[in-house]
Amino acid sequence: MLLLLTLVVFLLFSVLPADPARLTCGKACTPAIIEANRERLGLNLPVWQQYWEFLKGIFVGRTYGSGTASFTCDAPCLGYSFKRGEEVTTLIKTAFPPTMWLALGAFILWITVGVSAGVYTALRRGRWQDKTIMGLSLVGYSLPSFFIGLLLLFFVIIKWQLLPFPSYVSPFEDPVQFFQTMLLPWIVLAILYAAFYTRLTRNQMLDTLGEDYIRTARAKGLPERTVIRKHGLRAGLTPIVTAAGLDLAGLLGGAIITEQIYSLPGLGSLAINSVVDADLPVIVGITLVTASFIIIANLIVDLLYAVIDPRVRLV
Amino acid sequence: MGKAKPGVKFAVVAAAGALLLAACGGGSSDNGDSGNGDSGATKGGTITYLQLEEQFTNLDPQRVYTGEDLAFFNGTIFRTLTAYKFSADAAEGTTIVPDMATDLGTPNADSTEWQFTLRDGITWETGDPVTCEDVKYGVSRTFATDVITNGPTYAISMLDIPSEEDGSSSYKGPYTGVGQEAFDQAVTCSEDNKTITFKLSRPVPDFNYTVTLLSFAAVPKAADTGEKYDDKPVANGPYKIQEYTKGKGGKFILVRNDAWSQDSDPYRKAYPDQWSVDFGIDPTVIDQRLIAGAAADQATLSNALQPQSLPIVFNDPKFENRRINEFDPYVRYFAVNVQKVPNLKHRQAIAAAMNRDALLTNAGGAFAGDLADGVIKPNIGQDYAPTGLWEGLLGQTIPATGDPEYAKQLIADSGEPMPTITFDYPNTPTNEKAASIVVASLQAAGITAKPNPIEAGQYYGVVFDPEKAHEVINAGWGPDWPNASTVIPELFTPSGGFNLSQADDKDFNANVDAAKIESDRAAQATQWQELNKYAMEQVFAIPTRFGRDQRLPGEKLGNAYLWPAYGAWPYGDMYVTQ
Amino acid sequence: MSVLVQDNPAASPPTPDPDQGEEIQGRSLSAIAWGRFRRDKVGMFSLGVLILLLLSALLAGPITSLMGVDPYTLNPEALDKANGGIPLGCGVPDASFFCGISREHPFGVEPGTGRDLFARVLYGMRISIFIALSATLVTTLLGTVFGIVAGYLGGRWDTVISRLMDIILAFPFLLIILALSGVFTQRLVAIGVPEGNPARITYLVLVLSLFGWPYLARIVRGQVLSVREREFVEASIAMGAGTRRILFKEMLPNLWAPIMIYATLTLPTYIATEAVLSFLGVGVLPPTPTFGAILADSVTYMSIIPSYLLIPGVILAILVVTFNLVGDSVRDALDPRASRQ
Repeated sequence: MLLLLTLVVFLLFSVLPADPARLTCGKACTPAIIEANRERLGLNLPVWQQYWEFLKGIFVGRTYGSGTASFTCDAPCLGYSFKRGEEVTTLIKTAFPPTMWLALGAFILWITVGVSAGVYTALRRGRWQDKTIMGLSLVGYSLPSFFIGLLLLFFVIIKWQLLPFPSYVSPFEDPVQFFQTMLLPWIVLAILYAAFYTRLTRNQMLDTLGEDYIRTARAKGLPERTVIRKHGLRAGLTPIVTAAGLDLAGLLGGAIITEQIYSLPGLGSLAINSVVDADLPVIVGITLVTASFIIIANLIVDLLYAVIDPRVRLV
Repeated sequence: MGKAKPGVKFAVVAAAGALLLAACGGGSSDNGDSGNGDSGATKGGTITYLQLEEQFTNLDPQRVYTGEDLAFFNGTIFRTLTAYKFSADAAEGTTIVPDMATDLGTPNADSTEWQFTLRDGITWETGDPVTCEDVKYGVSRTFATDVITNGPTYAISMLDIPSEEDGSSSYKGPYTGVGQEAFDQAVTCSEDNKTITFKLSRPVPDFNYTVTLLSFAAVPKAADTGEKYDDKPVANGPYKIQEYTKGKGGKFILVRNDAWSQDSDPYRKAYPDQWSVDFGIDPTVIDQRLIAGAAADQATLSNALQPQSLPIVFNDPKFENRRINEFDPYVRYFAVNVQKVPNLKHRQAIAAAMNRDALLTNAGGAFAGDLADGVIKPNIGQDYAPTGLWEGLLGQTIPATGDPEYAKQLIADSGEPMPTITFDYPNTPTNEKAASIVVASLQAAGITAKPNPIEAGQYYGVVFDPEKAHEVINAGWGPDWPNASTVIPELFTPSGGFNLSQADDKDFNANVDAAKIESDRAAQATQWQELNKYAMEQVFAIPTRFGRDQRLPGEKLGNAYLWPAYGAWPYGDMYVTQ
Repeated sequence: MSVLVQDNPAASPPTPDPDQGEEIQGRSLSAIAWGRFRRDKVGMFSLGVLILLLLSALLAGPITSLMGVDPYTLNPEALDKANGGIPLGCGVPDASFFCGISREHPFGVEPGTGRDLFARVLYGMRISIFIALSATLVTTLLGTVFGIVAGYLGGRWDTVISRLMDIILAFPFLLIILALSGVFTQRLVAIGVPEGNPARITYLVLVLSLFGWPYLARIVRGQVLSVREREFVEASIAMGAGTRRILFKEMLPNLWAPIMIYATLTLPTYIATEAVLSFLGVGVLPPTPTFGAILADSVTYMSIIPSYLLIPGVILAILVVTFNLVGDSVRDALDPRASRQ
C-alpha cells in the first residue's frame, strides 16, 4: 500500500512545471550548468531509477554529489533539500512536534465537546437547547478555517491584545508561552471539527435511539444512562470512530492554514513553503509521511469497526 | 550605490510583496542618525536581528548574493580584499577602502591584471593565518557551478580562463579539478603567500570593486565540505558562528572571534559582543515589536517594514528620530521579451499604454518610491542621466497614467497585428493587483492581455527559461557595485546573467563591450547613460519605479542608517548605546 | 427527490405527522415537505437571506451598474498616495473602524487600486457559488455510486474501491492541489479546455470532487454494510429480488439521509475550500475577484483597514452558514424520520 503510494506521489511530482535543475541554477545559467545540476540532483536518471534511488535511500541511505564535495544521507533518508541544505528527514523531524501538539490538543478539545454536545442535543431534540447548539455548530462547521483564524487573531491579539503574538516554543521549554501560542490554534481547529462531530454524533444517536433494540432496552427498564451509553452511543460509534481516526491522522500531517496564520513551525508550514519553492524532495517526503499516518489510522479504524459493531463483518 | 541582490533572490523579494516586502516610502528623509556619529559608540551588548526568513539563503561566502546578507556577513564574519566605506552618505558610502588587502590593489597599465597584498596578522578563527592560497581557493569554488549555486559569477566571466563551446568555463572547480592548470595560471600567489594576482580576460578598471563581493572571500581548503560548507563556514572576521539552527524558532548566534585582532582589521569596529538572529518571525510580529520598543527589543533591528506598519510609523512623531525612509539600490521594471515582441512599435505601444501611476500607487504610493525613467537609478551617481523616456523618446510625451490612444496609433503604424501579451509575475496579493492594472492598461489600448501568476519561490527558475517566459516579465534589479557595468550588460546583453528581455542587438552589444573596458570613468559614465537611453528607446524594458526602503531600528542602536553600498544596515559599524 | 422519499422502505415507513393525518391524501409530498419547511423559522429566515445573497450574486452586473460601481475600475481618487496608497482616512491616528467606506463605495475600496469592494464581493460570490455547486454535483454522484458498489457488491469490487479511497484519502489534498495546479491546468488546456479561467475553474471542480467523493463513499459504504444486514433486505433477497431492485429500491432510500446530509454540508464546505484555495493563490486569474483573493490581500492591512477583512469575511460566513441552515431544514422537511420520531 505504502509502496504504491510512494510511487503515485513520485510520478505525480515528476511532472512539476519548474525544472528543479534550473531553479537551483541561479543567474548566468548555461545549459552545461543545468546539466550538471540535473546530475547532482539525480534528475538525469529516468523516473523509475530515481524512484529506486529514493526507495534505497529510505532503507540503506544514499550519497549525493561526487568527488570531494560528496556527502551521505543516512537511512532512513527521504531525500535532501538542496534549497534548504538539510536532509528531508531532519526537516520533518523538526516540524513534527508543533504539528503533533496542535493536532492532539485540538483533538481532545473537539472530541470532548463534539461528542457530548451531540449526545446532549440528541436527547433534547427539538427543544431550544438542541436548536441553539445545532445552530451554533452549523455556524462553526461552515466557517472557513482561515476566517475563524484571522478573526480570532484580529480581535484577541491585535484589537484587544489579550494574548501576545504567537511564537512557538516547546512545552518543555516554556509551558506558559506554549499555551499562549497554542490556545487560539486549538480553538480554531476545535470549532471546525467539534461542530462536525456534534452533528455526526447527534444523527447517529437519533438513528440508533429509534431502533427496536433501544426500545427493548428501555422496556426492560434499564436506566436511561445505561441505554444511552451501552446501546445508543456504542451502536452509533462506528462512523464517529472512522471520522475521528482519519481526522486526527490528517491533522498530524499538518494544518496548513492554521499553522500559517499562527506562525507555527509545523509540517503544514513546511509543506506550503516547499510548494512555493518547488522544493520537490520535501514535498514528496511530507506527502509520504502524512499519507502513512492516514493509512495506519485506516487500518486501526477498520479493526475497531469489528470491535465496536459486531454486526459488521470484515470483508 | 550598491550591490543588489541580484535579481534572483531580490526580485523574488520584491515579488513576494505582501509577505516579504514593505517597499514603499514617504517623501521626506527622516533619517535620524545618519553619518558616522561615533560619539557614544561603545563596545558591548547584543544586537538582535529579527528575520522573517527561516534561514539564510546561503551562508557559504561564495554563494551569498543578497544585499542584506552580503552586508551582514561581510561586516561580521567574512573579510574581503576591499570593502565599502561605512557611511550614510550616498557618495561616500559607496567608495571602497582596503580590508584584507593593504591598499586598494594595483592594476597593470590596461587593467587586465590586478594585484592585492594581504595585511599581516589576519587569521582564521582556528588561529591559522589567512593566506593567499586561501583567497585563491575561495575564488576557485565559484567555478564548481553544480555545488556553488546562487552566487555571483564574475570570477568566471572576468578571469582569463578559456571558455568551452557552450560558454561554460573550461575550469570546473576544485572538487573535480578539471582544468585546474588554467585556473592556476589566472590566479597566482607570490612566494611568501601574501600577494595574489588576478589575470583578467579583458580590462576591468574597477576590479577592486568586484572583489568586495563575498565570492572573492577566502576559504581554507582543508575545511571545505562542499555543499555542507553552507552550514558552518570558517570565520576570519571579528565574530565567529556559535550556533546556526534553521527553521522557525531557529537562531544564528555570532560571538567574538578571539583569534581576530583589531590591528589587522582597521575597517570593522566590532562594537557589540554578540549578534543574535532569530529566524522565522512573523513579519507582523517583527513590526509590532519594533514599534512597541519594549526594553528587550531596543537593540533590535530587522529589514523593511510591512505596508500596514508604514502609516503607523510615519504618522507618529514619536518615531521621528528612528524611522528611515531612503531610496534602496533597486529599479523595478517589466522586461519586454524582444524575441516574442520583435516589432519595436509594438513594444513602444506596451510602454505607452502602461498606467505607471496606478502601479506606483498599488506598490505603496509615495512609500514605494518614484516613477522611473530607465534601469539606472539616480543614486548610483555619475552613471545616471535622465533618459527622457516619457518625454518624447517614444515619439511623444506619455503621461504617468498611460496613453492608450497613442498606443493604438503605434500599433496601427506598425503594420502588423499586435501579438497577445502575457504578463509573468510572482503570485502574491500585491502582484495580483499589479497584474490587474497591467492587463487593464493594455486592454485599454486594444491589446489582448493575460496574467500569468507563477509561484514566488519558483519565479526566476521559470522566467529564466526562454521556453517558459512570456512577453512581459515582472522584475527588479540593483547594481552589484556603483558602476552601470553591473546593470546594462547584465540586463540587456546575451552574456548578461539577467537578460529577461532576451535582447541581442549587435550594435548595442558592441557598444556595451566598449563601455565595459573604457578606462576613463567619466567617459564610461556617458556611455552607460547613452546605452540606458538606447535600451529604453528600444523598450527592452519598461521601468516602473525607483524603489524606496523604510525601516525602524531599535531605540538603543547606534549608527543605524541605511548603508548605500548595499541598501542594508552597516553591520560592521553599529553599536548598542549603554 | 420526492420519488425516493415515497419509496421509503417498508421496514421503516415515514411516521406521518399526527396533525397532518387527514390532509395527507390530498397533498403531494413536496407540498408536505414545503409545509414542514415553512414552519421552520430558522430555515425560513436563512432561506430569505440566502435567496437575497444568491440573487445579488446572480444579478451582480445590474446591481453594481445601478449603483454606479464595477469591480474592475481603478479609483485612484479614493486613495491616499502619500500614505502608502491605502484608502483615504485609513491609517491615520484617529482613523475610524470603518475608514474608507463612503456612499459611493458602501464596502470601501481596495487599497492600492481603489477598486470598489461591494462590486468585487458580489462578483466573487458568483464565482464561488458556481464552483462549489458544480463540484458538489460531481462529488455526490461519484460518492454515491462508488459507495453503493463497494458496500453492496463487496468482494473484489470493495477491495479495489476501498484501496482507491484509502489512497485518495491518505493524500494531503490541499498540498497536492496547490503543488499540481499549474501542471494540471496546462494538461486541461492541452485536452481542449479553454485557457485561462475556464481551465482553472475546471481544475478546481475536478480536484475538489476527486478528493471529496471518498468521504461520502465511505459513509455510504458503511451504511450499506449495516443496511444489507437488516431484515428487510435479507427478506428481499430471500424473495428473489434482483440486484438492481435491491440497490435502488431497498438500499438507496435508506442511504438518502446520509447522502443528503453529506451533500448539504459539502456545498458550503466547497465554497469555503475554494476561498481557502484562492487565499493560498490557486484560483481564478486577476482581475476576476474571489473571496479568497480579497481576504488574502486584506490580511496585510488587517490592523489599519479592519473593514477590508471583516466585511468580505462576514459575508462569506453568512453565505456558508445560511446555505448550511437551509440545507439542514430541507433535510428535516424531506426526511422527517431523521429528525422526528
